[in-house]
Amino acid sequence: MHLVRDLLDNQVNDKRDRKMGKVDGIILVLREGKPPKVEAIELGMSTLLSRISDRLGRFAARLEQRWGITDGEPVRIPVRKIERIGIDVRVKVDADRTTVYDWERWIRRVIIEKIPVPGGGRTGGGPK
Amino acid sequence: MKDILKIALGVVTGIGGFLDAGTIATCAQAGARFEFRLLWVVALGTLCIIFLSEMLGRLAAVSHHTLADAIRERFGIRYHAIPLVAELFLDVIVLAAEIGGIAMALQLLTSIGFPWWSMPVAVAVWFLLWRATFDVVEDGVALLGLVTLVFAVAAIKTHPALHDILRGLLPTRPPRAPAQYWFIAVSLLGSLLCPYVLNFYSAGAVEEEWTEQDLAANRWAAGLGMSFGGGLGASVLIASAMVLYPRGIDASTYDEMQLMVSIPLGHVGGTLFAVALGITCFGAALQVALNLSYTMAQAFGWNWSENLKPAEDARFAATYTLAIFAAAIVVAVGLDPLKVTLFAMAFNAVVVPFVVFPLLILMNDEDYLGAHTNGWISNLVVSFCTILAFVLGIVAIPLQIFGGS
Repeated sequence: MHLVRDLLDNQVNDKRDRKMGKVDGIILVLREGKPPKVEAIELGMSTLLSRISDRLGRFAARLEQRWGITDGEPVRIPVRKIERIGIDVRVKVDADRTTVYDWERWIRRVIIEKIPVPGGGRTGGGPK
Repeated sequence: MKDILKIALGVVTGIGGFLDAGTIATCAQAGARFEFRLLWVVALGTLCIIFLSEMLGRLAAVSHHTLADAIRERFGIRYHAIPLVAELFLDVIVLAAEIGGIAMALQLLTSIGFPWWSMPVAVAVWFLLWRATFDVVEDGVALLGLVTLVFAVAAIKTHPALHDILRGLLPTRPPRAPAQYWFIAVSLLGSLLCPYVLNFYSAGAVEEEWTEQDLAANRWAAGLGMSFGGGLGASVLIASAMVLYPRGIDASTYDEMQLMVSIPLGHVGGTLFAVALGITCFGAALQVALNLSYTMAQAFGWNWSENLKPAEDARFAATYTLAIFAAAIVVAVGLDPLKVTLFAMAFNAVVVPFVVFPLLILMNDEDYLGAHTNGWISNLVVSFCTILAFVLGIVAIPLQIFGGS
């Protein structure tokens, strides 16, 4: 497998096929005298932006912490939790038990629920 | 039977959803200033959009991935950041052009200045997206958009000579003002090959859960729908060439463009022009705003669908909410909607290769398309049109801005 072509940036879906995000980063472990080993995949704005510029990545992490959106840490999914890798990556994880929807919840609370127009409410099915 | 219905709906969507502020403005100016001489650009752009929409439908049906999804996945964020940022910026400008088009239509109907209409129009666009499902948006836009057939009626009523139309289909050198000729040619191509149209088409196919069973219907709907749509664009150009060109009116305002329908069809024609402009821009505004949300959601892997309640895909709903009001501010401060439209269309032509070339690579990737990869004709036609649009764009835009004509 070509890690950059076949894994990095692919869509990640949880065990209920809900969209969690993209593979924003790959964690490799360096081993003495052996090739590096893939340990985990990472999802998170700070990981993603740090691939464009380190400064941008640090800025995103600080912003997420300061505004109370997330703890600034990306979501890390160990490689043993990966169920299937195709053009989508399916993981044996419940998205609600991670922080991938922290941005979603924050925007819902700060913007969507403040709009006093009917029709925006929840009927179930989306991330809690 | 189901396939025939799907094709029929695709054709209606092609006709009703084809025109927007950009196509109306660029086709009208092309006809008013260069008679039939730019008709070949409409034909070329239509041919290209037929191939592109067929490809986007095929990509969605086979891989269940949209264009924005696939570009991020195959080319990585470092590449994707370029078309993503360019497209988000351009989409807000195009959205301003569409909101401006609706506001101008309301000005034509009521004589109340267009800036006053910007916020009520923005609220109406937003409210429909907030409440409606994807089918309501797409089918409603298509059916109401059939009012744009008024342009075909106007063109027929002017009795254009067939040999003039045929001669216009052959590229010729401009008789005068070459910078303006090429700038309008670029704007025309940009209006026909809008990045938002491409993304919206592929997102729509995923929303409607197309599968490989739909490939034949997709091919017919793309071919017939876009051909009829291109015919409508040509009708605007022909009506303008027959009515405005001989009178020396250069279609530099929407009031002047209104004459291409009101002269052949009388007073009711003028009203129908305003109604057609308003409805078609309203439909396009819905699509561009939705496309902004689709593009963001697919680039970052969010939960997305117009069929979900806003609270279920809050990031998706917040994106179109912010974009609509940002675009409305551009109109409210009184920037001329027509100028905004023409420059947005020209810049479309420059941005479109950054979206189309990755698409071409994806369409030849068996991981995504399996046995349904592109043939050489599709690759050739789309490459040719895209390179032409890009080259014309980088030559003609500076010429126009710095007064080369």
